[in-house]
Amino acid sequence: MRVMIQLRPSYDVVAAVADPRLTATTADVADRLPGVVLDDSFTPVAVPQPVPSHEGDPLSLRQPITYSLAGEHASVMVRGEIADDELTARLSLLPMVRRDVVGVFADPVIEASLTCGGDPAVGDWRDVARLMRADELQRAGLDGTGVALAVLDSGVNAAHVAERLGRLVTLDVQRSWNPATVDGRAGEFEVDHGTMCAFDALITSPGASLIDIPLLLSRAQGTTVLGGVLSDAVAAFAHLRTVLLAQPADRRSLVVTNSWGSFSPRWDFPVGHPGNYSDNPAHPFNLIVASLEQEGADILFAAGNCGNECADGRCAFPNRPIVGANSHSRVLTIGGVDTRARRVGYSSQGPGRLTARKPDICAYTHFKGSGVYDPGPDSGTSAACPVAAGLVAAIRTQWPASRLSPAELRTLLRRTADHPRGADFDHDLGYGIVDPAAVLTTLRRRQAA
Amino acid sequence: MVLITVRLPAGLSLPDGMRHLGLADEDVDLAFGLIAVDSAKGLYALRVSDESARRLGWGAGGPYADPKIEPFGPPS
Repeated sequence: MRVMIQLRPSYDVVAAVADPRLTATTADVADRLPGVVLDDSFTPVAVPQPVPSHEGDPLSLRQPITYSLAGEHASVMVRGEIADDELTARLSLLPMVRRDVVGVFADPVIEASLTCGGDPAVGDWRDVARLMRADELQRAGLDGTGVALAVLDSGVNAAHVAERLGRLVTLDVQRSWNPATVDGRAGEFEVDHGTMCAFDALITSPGASLIDIPLLLSRAQGTTVLGGVLSDAVAAFAHLRTVLLAQPADRRSLVVTNSWGSFSPRWDFPVGHPGNYSDNPAHPFNLIVASLEQEGADILFAAGNCGNECADGRCAFPNRPIVGANSHSRVLTIGGVDTRARRVGYSSQGPGRLTARKPDICAYTHFKGSGVYDPGPDSGTSAACPVAAGLVAAIRTQWPASRLSPAELRTLLRRTADHPRGADFDHDLGYGIVDPAAVLTTLRRRQAA
Repeated sequence: MVLITVRLPAGLSLPDGMRHLGLADEDVDLAFGLIAVDSAKGLYALRVSDESARRLGWGAGGPYADPKIEPFGPPS
């Protein structure tokens, strides 16, 4: 354990440490402390002592205090490390064997606070393109051309996406689909959440063909806010299966990005009830997700915005907020990091309810991008999910499901992901942050073999 | 209307399925239709009235939760 050790050496040593014109070292101050590995790179710091003012009332709790760095008052702080298994004994013995030790304090790791909803953008979409190696992928012929990329959301405004990206957008009107209660034409919906998702997906796969499925505009059961019901997603996935099965078996590729989910158990049967969704792999939606994946689709779900540090106000699951299909074993569950590669505080942590090891990987979010929420950023795991889907679509340009199955592709993304803490897996970042350069290297090696 | 699943011979249309199950138009969410969840196993989803779900009883799976779904962003 890292510790700070407060010492009261001789007056002249304290005075030397306090004097900014002099440089005292840890060895000058502490020499050797038994059981403590001192950090010699740390310059000792003089700690002032609070001293009551002479004018104050000595019986008053509000008497004025001054802080003295005089040799007879001040102390000195150094830092070091004590072995975890010796900590209790060392803490007891140190002040006894070394009378100059005044106290031993924890020296915890401190971090800047995480990015939360409402915070300004961290970088812009060009930073994301650079981090996702969009140029390198395109030079390798992996730009999503010919790959169907379904955006299940609130509908896409293709003109807005094209204008913001500064290039043409390919929209597959014929294979787009509306829930029964939704009017409107593919690519011509109001600029909203789905437009942001489409923009973010095309950062890395500019050639992909968008399939527009305005699922969240459903008015089923009288829903009045942006949000649908899950049965419409069952119907949407059934449509996507017909889309996939219509493709030649040796060239199938369909990427499905889903930046939505259920926020509350209030809309669900209790866990253990046979009709439950959140924890039940036998729910029809969880079944149709598995069946679409089995036919060759890559399905990505956002992990959700219920991270411990700054959860969305709608989050109502008391724990394990990655629920239902968002935690399905046959999907890639995407958490969010900002462009400084730090987890955003709202990104939901695992374990997932259907599969414990969730999220799978993280991708970039909270950047200035589509302009849909100007001046706010493209944010939420809503943005991270299509960013990752863009990479999957790019890979599929030359690697259809017949060549690299959805399960193999998920493994590839997990194994190449870069975990900033060097961990194999944790429930904050999953296997780590998506690493397109490592993906490219692995694909080249596989191609050569 | 509630979400249920039924097992039917593969390739049935909605009218055929309704006939098979003894359901009238007013019992079924016709706009939702008959959705093949797993066509290889003949598993279909449809939305029917509470009364029809009760009547189908053990012949049907569910009723299943049909929760509200919402976009994950921007976080509020």
